[in-house]
Amino acid sequence: MKISLHNTKSTRLAWLVSAIACLGGTALVAQQAQDIDRTALWWSPGDDRPLPAYIDYENDYGRLGLLNSSGTIQTDGHPFFEALGSNGRGCVTCHQPADAMSLSVATIQQRWRDTNGTDPLFAPVDGMDCPNKPAGDPESHTLLLKRGLIRVALPWPPANAEPEFDIEVVRDPTGCNTDPEYGLAGERKQISVYRRPRPAINLRYVASSRFGVSPFIGKTGQLAATDPETGRPLNMNMMADARDSTLKQQATSASKGHMEVTQPLTNDQLNRIQDFELQLYGAQAWSNIGGTLVEENGPSGIGPQAMANGSDGVLGNNTTRFVFPMEDKWADLPEGNTEAEARRNEFLESVQRGHDAFFYRTFWIKDAMHINTVGLGNPIKRTCATCHGMHMTGMDTANGWMDLGTTNHPWALEPPESPWADEKPEMPLFKVTCREDLPPHPFLGRTIYTQDPGRALISGKCEDVGAIVIQQFRGLSARAPYFSNGSAANLRELVDFYDRRFNIRYTEQEKTDLVNFLSTL
Amino acid sequence: MKNFARTLLGLSLAGATALTQAAPAAGERISFVSCPIVRDTVSVPCWLSDYDGDTYYLTIQSDVSASVQPPMLGHQVLVEGIVTDDPAICGGIVLEDVHLTAMPELDANCNTILPVDERYVVDFNPRPPGPSAGRLAFDPAPGAPRQEPPPPTGRQEFEIYFDFDKGVSFRHPRFLGQILSTAEKLKPARMMVTGVRGAHKLSNGMLLQEAENTGQRRAEEIAGLLQDAGLAIDTEVTWISAEADANGVDDWQSRRVSVVLIP
Repeated sequence: MKISLHNTKSTRLAWLVSAIACLGGTALVAQQAQDIDRTALWWSPGDDRPLPAYIDYENDYGRLGLLNSSGTIQTDGHPFFEALGSNGRGCVTCHQPADAMSLSVATIQQRWRDTNGTDPLFAPVDGMDCPNKPAGDPESHTLLLKRGLIRVALPWPPANAEPEFDIEVVRDPTGCNTDPEYGLAGERKQISVYRRPRPAINLRYVASSRFGVSPFIGKTGQLAATDPETGRPLNMNMMADARDSTLKQQATSASKGHMEVTQPLTNDQLNRIQDFELQLYGAQAWSNIGGTLVEENGPSGIGPQAMANGSDGVLGNNTTRFVFPMEDKWADLPEGNTEAEARRNEFLESVQRGHDAFFYRTFWIKDAMHINTVGLGNPIKRTCATCHGMHMTGMDTANGWMDLGTTNHPWALEPPESPWADEKPEMPLFKVTCREDLPPHPFLGRTIYTQDPGRALISGKCEDVGAIVIQQFRGLSARAPYFSNGSAANLRELVDFYDRRFNIRYTEQEKTDLVNFLSTL
Repeated sequence: MKNFARTLLGLSLAGATALTQAAPAAGERISFVSCPIVRDTVSVPCWLSDYDGDTYYLTIQSDVSASVQPPMLGHQVLVEGIVTDDPAICGGIVLEDVHLTAMPELDANCNTILPVDERYVVDFNPRPPGPSAGRLAFDPAPGAPRQEPPPPTGRQEFEIYFDFDKGVSFRHPRFLGQILSTAEKLKPARMMVTGVRGAHKLSNGMLLQEAENTGQRRAEEIAGLLQDAGLAIDTEVTWISAEADANGVDDWQSRRVSVVLIP
């Protein structure tokens, strides 16, 4: 596996899609070539510049808006923006403002070029495929540089659960899961999975426990996590495997695991991080084709101010609140008096159609753990909004881990295996064997192959293998690639995944409309 | 359930009655294991199952508030119900007091989705196949009076029912929450949890037994969840592992855990 980080032109060429002729007409696609100065956009810990009350950042689809609802943030000395750990990282290292407080692979690659791989982002602990790889070599960082994945090392067996399954390593392209020190059978008894950093915007929604939260998890009946400060149950929607459920818990574990702090964060630091995260909102605010997305009298569910105004903990899979309220504002626009206006209106109408495809287009949702097992039947004829139902974010409303197939065979993205194929698998592959004396996984049986067992690494449950907490949809344009394992390089691949997974048979127009819609969130 | 089905579902009957001529008599209890079948319609799909030459209507897709929740393709379904002479729905004989549970082992033969057939029309949808109108289909109407139960006194008993061979699932948070809520008011000194391994007498005479460890698994799981949720009191956990008998009447109630709170 060779990684080239020198030819930025080829990367940009991949973005060169502006208008494509389709059967029956022309479809405008939101992706546009942009000459973005990602070097200037990088925010290092200790930069100490203020983060304004409102700022926007360019991306390949337009501009992302970030809104600090409490006003300008002075980052000098702020624990989110300072290097707290022994490896020089701060929270901001992996939660970059320009990347919707996540981290795009384009930014990662630029940072490698700018620092020759010496930035703390590439720290051995999790910025390498395995900590014992040689420093300074891009081949030591393949998953970070190619897919934007951070190594997450978890104890196996889990600390607080007796596993219902055995796990073995089938394929180990990073070498970490068979390593004598870091491997599954190594000294540390760890399993290494590789995941994308989640966006630290709109966390008031992500952390909300106003809907569907009770002492027992609605989808499984198992015990919900509780807030150690209040004792109240939590929605467990923050991390891919729901191992931490409050902002403070997440900050604490990230400071230990990712930043390698030598002293635990203080209460004051944790409070300041939490306060900052709960007042920060982000969403796409400008489209390269559609222009401003936040015009007066425009859709009420678009843009960062809409996120600041919205209600959290609300189920939106209904025609009273909607997941993403659009009020059909872009459903029937005039042709326009200029070519630019015509293009803009055509694009915005496509966005509206994409919304309608998301919200109303039915298909068979089949064999998806924690959605087809919660009393709805298998299959169900429903829409995207069934799983992505949280008002304003498109997350699940509560306890949102599901297996949509992103990491489990047979649906997870794998390169073709043949004597003529050059592409080699990048992700580890594990074989999970569920106990014979317990019921099997309802859709995958007792033998499951997975790139990442997801929630099961925490719960130990066979039925949780490959179940990943659903992410928010906001700021997608700023933070490719997508899915927890970075397997969709762009929004079109994201839509194509669902099309394959659920045999939806979207038309080309529907796919274009969905990409355009997602690009404006 | 009978009246409910009559009220909610209508059917274009053309061509449907011919399918039901060999039906068992109305009022007859029936219990069988067979593959479920999905029949698509222009709105929500219906769920059916074939048994002994007849097609039975099981339920339709609605939402999590439904009293009868659809089974799963990929698994056989254990059906219990009472035959009615109601008009067929989606081409199937209507059962009342229907109880469905997916059998745990996978069965690749259970994979039939029938296409839309204009003879079968669901006239009324408790919920369309997409977004709802703002509330769950079978929840009480907004503003409906809610009856608060009287404060608990004395010994309190609860029965929790399970899917075949299965432990705690989506069916149980409400019941577990009720137990917790009752315990908060009652302040019990002791809790007894008894898990039962269920059995079913099928219409073909076969006796279907759950796995031997099922009662134990259920009892330990329920007791552990309640204790971890804060009900840290003296708890006696017992279970029944012996093969049970069954008579084909409400056998679904044999798959259970009993919880008793003692002041």
